[in-house]
Amino acid sequence: MVTSQVIFLRSSFYRDLGYGGSGTEFELVNYLKFFNDTFYLKVLWNTVEVSFFAMVFTLMFAFPIAYLIARMRSKWGMVLLAGIVMSTFITIVIKVFGLYIMFSREGVINQTLLFLGIIDQPFAIIGNEGGVVVGLMHFTLGFGVVLLFSVVQTIPRSLEEAAQIFGASRWRVWRRIIIPLSLPGLIAGALMLFNMCMGAFTAVALLGGGRVYTLPVLIQRVVIMEAKYGMGGTLSAVLLFSVLLINILSLFLLWNMRKQRMIVV
Amino acid sequence: MPRYIFYIWCSLAYVFLLSPLVIVAGASLHRGSRYTVVQFPPTELSLYWYTQIPDAHWEALSLSFGLGFLSAFLACCLGIPAALGLVRSRIKCKALISSLIRAPMQIPTIVTGLAFLQMYYLFGDLTGLYAHGTFVGLLLAHLFVGIPYVVGTVVAVLQRFDSRLEEAALSLGASRWRTFRRVTLPVIMPGVYAGGLYAFMVSFGDVPISMLLSVPGYVTYPVELFYGMENDFNPAVLASSTIVIFLSLGVMLVMQRLIGLENLLRSDGNRN
Repeated sequence: MVTSQVIFLRSSFYRDLGYGGSGTEFELVNYLKFFNDTFYLKVLWNTVEVSFFAMVFTLMFAFPIAYLIARMRSKWGMVLLAGIVMSTFITIVIKVFGLYIMFSREGVINQTLLFLGIIDQPFAIIGNEGGVVVGLMHFTLGFGVVLLFSVVQTIPRSLEEAAQIFGASRWRVWRRIIIPLSLPGLIAGALMLFNMCMGAFTAVALLGGGRVYTLPVLIQRVVIMEAKYGMGGTLSAVLLFSVLLINILSLFLLWNMRKQRMIVV
Repeated sequence: MPRYIFYIWCSLAYVFLLSPLVIVAGASLHRGSRYTVVQFPPTELSLYWYTQIPDAHWEALSLSFGLGFLSAFLACCLGIPAALGLVRSRIKCKALISSLIRAPMQIPTIVTGLAFLQMYYLFGDLTGLYAHGTFVGLLLAHLFVGIPYVVGTVVAVLQRFDSRLEEAALSLGASRWRTFRRVTLPVIMPGVYAGGLYAFMVSFGDVPISMLLSVPGYVTYPVELFYGMENDFNPAVLASSTIVIFLSLGVMLVMQRLIGLENLLRSDGNRN
């Protein structure tokens, strides 16, 4: 136990040293540059925006699936679970390959949509924010289902049955029982998904096609292509702190809601 | 809300989630002419691209596997004692230590990669041993992100663990080590498997850390794919990706046999 603690403490210690490693007098210059340059601020805003949309869409898909699997009594639940676990474990690069082919000019989707006359020119997935959000969803969806699955499992089935016996409609059961009871878990899960999206590099780098920048992509570009370690460190610190700040803000919000008894914990 | 809309919505999500994998596997079977190399659904079925997988891919794959297995194994070795300590001991700032251990999961991986790179530069400047681009350097960073998963899953199992079992073994004269090996370890094994699997998969799928810490010619499989995609597209990557997809499927089936998928998720869910 002690060894692993020491390793962790040491690596976190080194990490802090790592930021300062490029010299203290450089630091402030980079931070000033960051907060005075609209390009960097726009990248930060882009990151938050894209992550937010990806998080919302992921939740919209993940929660019904998690509910479905958690409430399923037959063997099929296992198969559905296997599909989720499977997609979680495949590296995002391979999934992006699939997306490339799927949305290519001659690909299935574009050809079908063109044929049906829904669109009049091929829809490109590379180089726009829509594509990036789709990629991020592939990155987070499986994980989201796994997270929410355990949330739904904590809601006793008997509560729903009781409500139904007393004549509540399905929609009412959702609105009055399932959503309120899973709200804390839902918010915590949403936060984790948001964090994942903020830090996601691969999907954004590949689908952004050099046109959509988020902080992780910018960090890689600054470090590998321009070898500006100081700026890379600054960007990393900004990314880390904005993730932290957003988390603290939402925890505060959660705490406030709990105090006002808007949610049951 | 009618029931069927719910089902349609869920199946849409599944199509969305799994179609890229199916398409990659399908397109890898297509042997096309120069201009339509990649096509789905495949029209000219052949295994041609499977014979064209470059050596670099095999090298990268074996590096990824070695790295994944070793980092998962070491993460278990370090994670089990840490989890035991977290659940059992009565140290004061338990919450702080536990969030410290979980921190690597919240840090964006590219930041972790950059931090390790800087750390290796610093260490190298001091001692003359530069760790980036070496197996050990990659391993350390992957271990850093892998351990929290093991700790998380093992802690989840330990919290349900009846400590009277251990007390019984101890009072009947078993040594501490024997108690651990014969009583504690078998009980927490599902958590260990689940955590180890997560650690492996995180290591195997990671791009940002490995990209920053590796040197050209010595890269892990996803990084190789990543560079391949950014530079020139070789359809053989579809073939090797398909192999990886089926390997993952195999691993998942083995896990299902060993501990059951439900266990995998249950121990994972307590993570946050």
